[in-house]
Amino acid sequence: MQLKTLSFSLSSPSSSSFILHSPPLSFPSISCKFRPSSFSSSRPLCVSLITISANSNDATGQQEVPTRIGFLGLGIMGSPMAQNLIKAGCNVTIWNRTKSKCDPLINLGAKYESSPMEVASSCDVTFAMLADPESAVDVACGTQGVIHGIGPGKGYVDISTVDGATSKLIGGNIKSTGALFLEAPVSGSKKPAEDGQLIFLTAGDRSLYDKVVSFLDIMGKSRFYLGDVGNGAAMKLVVNMIMGSMMATFSEGLILSEKLGLDPNVLIEVVSQGAISAPMFSTKGPSMVQALYPTAFPLKHQQKDMRLALGMAESVAQPTPIAAAANELYKVAKSRGLSDEDFSAVIEALRTKL
Amino acid sequence: MEVGFLGLGIMGKAMSLNLIKSGFKVTVWNRTLSKCEELAKLGASVGETPAAVVEKCKYTIAMLSDPSAALSVIFDKGGVLEQICPGKGYIDMSTVDASTTSKINEVVSAKGGRFLEAPVSGSKKPAEDGQLIILAAGDKELYEEIIPAFDVMGKKSFYLGQVGNGANMKLVVNMIMGSMMNAFSEGLVLADGSGLNQNTLLDVLALGGMANPMFAQKGPAMIQRSYPTAFPLKHQQKDMRLAIALGDQANVSMPIAAAANEAFKKAKGMGLGDHDFSAVHEVVKIPENASGK
Repeated sequence: MQLKTLSFSLSSPSSSSFILHSPPLSFPSISCKFRPSSFSSSRPLCVSLITISANSNDATGQQEVPTRIGFLGLGIMGSPMAQNLIKAGCNVTIWNRTKSKCDPLINLGAKYESSPMEVASSCDVTFAMLADPESAVDVACGTQGVIHGIGPGKGYVDISTVDGATSKLIGGNIKSTGALFLEAPVSGSKKPAEDGQLIFLTAGDRSLYDKVVSFLDIMGKSRFYLGDVGNGAAMKLVVNMIMGSMMATFSEGLILSEKLGLDPNVLIEVVSQGAISAPMFSTKGPSMVQALYPTAFPLKHQQKDMRLALGMAESVAQPTPIAAAANELYKVAKSRGLSDEDFSAVIEALRTKL
Repeated sequence: MEVGFLGLGIMGKAMSLNLIKSGFKVTVWNRTLSKCEELAKLGASVGETPAAVVEKCKYTIAMLSDPSAALSVIFDKGGVLEQICPGKGYIDMSTVDASTTSKINEVVSAKGGRFLEAPVSGSKKPAEDGQLIILAAGDKELYEEIIPAFDVMGKKSFYLGQVGNGANMKLVVNMIMGSMMNAFSEGLVLADGSGLNQNTLLDVLALGGMANPMFAQKGPAMIQRSYPTAFPLKHQQKDMRLAIALGDQANVSMPIAAAANEAFKKAKGMGLGDHDFSAVHEVVKIPENASGK
């Protein structure tokens, strides 16, 4: 049976807070009272939450709350996520392939180790946020990888977006050391990461999930537990497949309206009034009209996700013509040098170039 | 204010009802006259022909299903053209292609009448709730004069300039909608085929940047393979076809729309034309056995 918990959105009174059903796991109700009004993102204080959060599944009533947190990968997503943990008072040890990216966090109080292996061995739970399956495997299982430092009593939470097979490979390797494993890809890009508004799509060891919920709640607004390893990866890829196709069709609409002599900004406004109104369109539309694509989610990663989703579809013999057509557009955009732009730059693939 | 209303289908009936309830004096006509009875009971007058309605009313609104119905109401015996003259305004809210609306504009103007195209975005429920989005173009003064009626039928109106712009804007919006429905269907089916809970997918989508009313409202029924008609699939396919034709004219590459159109055509071929356009989900679903069902 698949369980699901949702946390309150803690950032503003007007944002929607909801619980779908009461979970067996007790949600730290005290956190509702943590609303220091000076916080722009109102993150509960890490230390207080950890000491209060009760895991009702633990028969002895004893707490095995992780206190030493590792964070591997400080890119667009990892850096703000780790920063939120540090600002909430957590004891964080970091590593990044390019060391200079660690400096701002060291200035905020993070410890530094020079390899994933050393981070994992010095921490109770290590989070990883890497760009793609290759990096995720390398960080977990490479020569200086997590598996050489992790062991019984410890946990590894891989937040990277990878395909199911990669996640199972990493999970299998981690668990063979005696440690626990949780895949936890997120929905949400740069701004939700900064604001602690990510959506976690987790799967794997339920006991590790229960141990880390308070950290997920610092970094995110909602969390789902989806069962066996592979389910989190799958859900993430389905979501991003839909997102990639939506951005592609929106791009077609903007270009078509422009070529017909309509004002694309009016199209954006009309769309925002109706049944297909999505925050993504209102947020990104205006810059797309100006041919600006400030990177919240790199196009190369969106294309990677389309490719992985198509692989998933193939493995269950499902035709996905819209996703396939969208993937082609992302490939064209990549070939035009737009890999590091926001994925909304896919609109450029529809413009004919001489 | 007195208006004529031609066409009492899914949309027209709800729209004219709102006008009547808001105190407008409404004279209705429908090809199948029996459909007028319900509105007559609520206070509408009934015109025997489109011409009779236009003769009686300074402003006549039309809400017809497609280009050929929109043209026949104009040109047929007993049609609108017989009574159009200076002082009369004709507001066509049907979704048609730009050349049809240009033709109608031409002949109405030639007889001294004023013309406004005003296709809507929104289907049955928004029509019932007076929450349509109205995309008007054409005679600016006529637009200003008819705004009281628009404000009853819709939540927001746009004036987009010359005749053809309303039709085109509508088609672009519906093109995006049709492709989004296909993308959504692909996601729902892939989730199911990969052993995920489809309702969880809906929950996740509702939380993020992709959240939109269409997914939230239609998703649950689609998961149950139920497609109650708010917007007939055959009309959605018509709109995809018209949008692609626009792309042809403007030399715009539209691979997503083309793929989506194929799916709608297949659904029509499967006999799903009168179901809601979300029935395209049936085309995306993995066949349950090799020979398909």
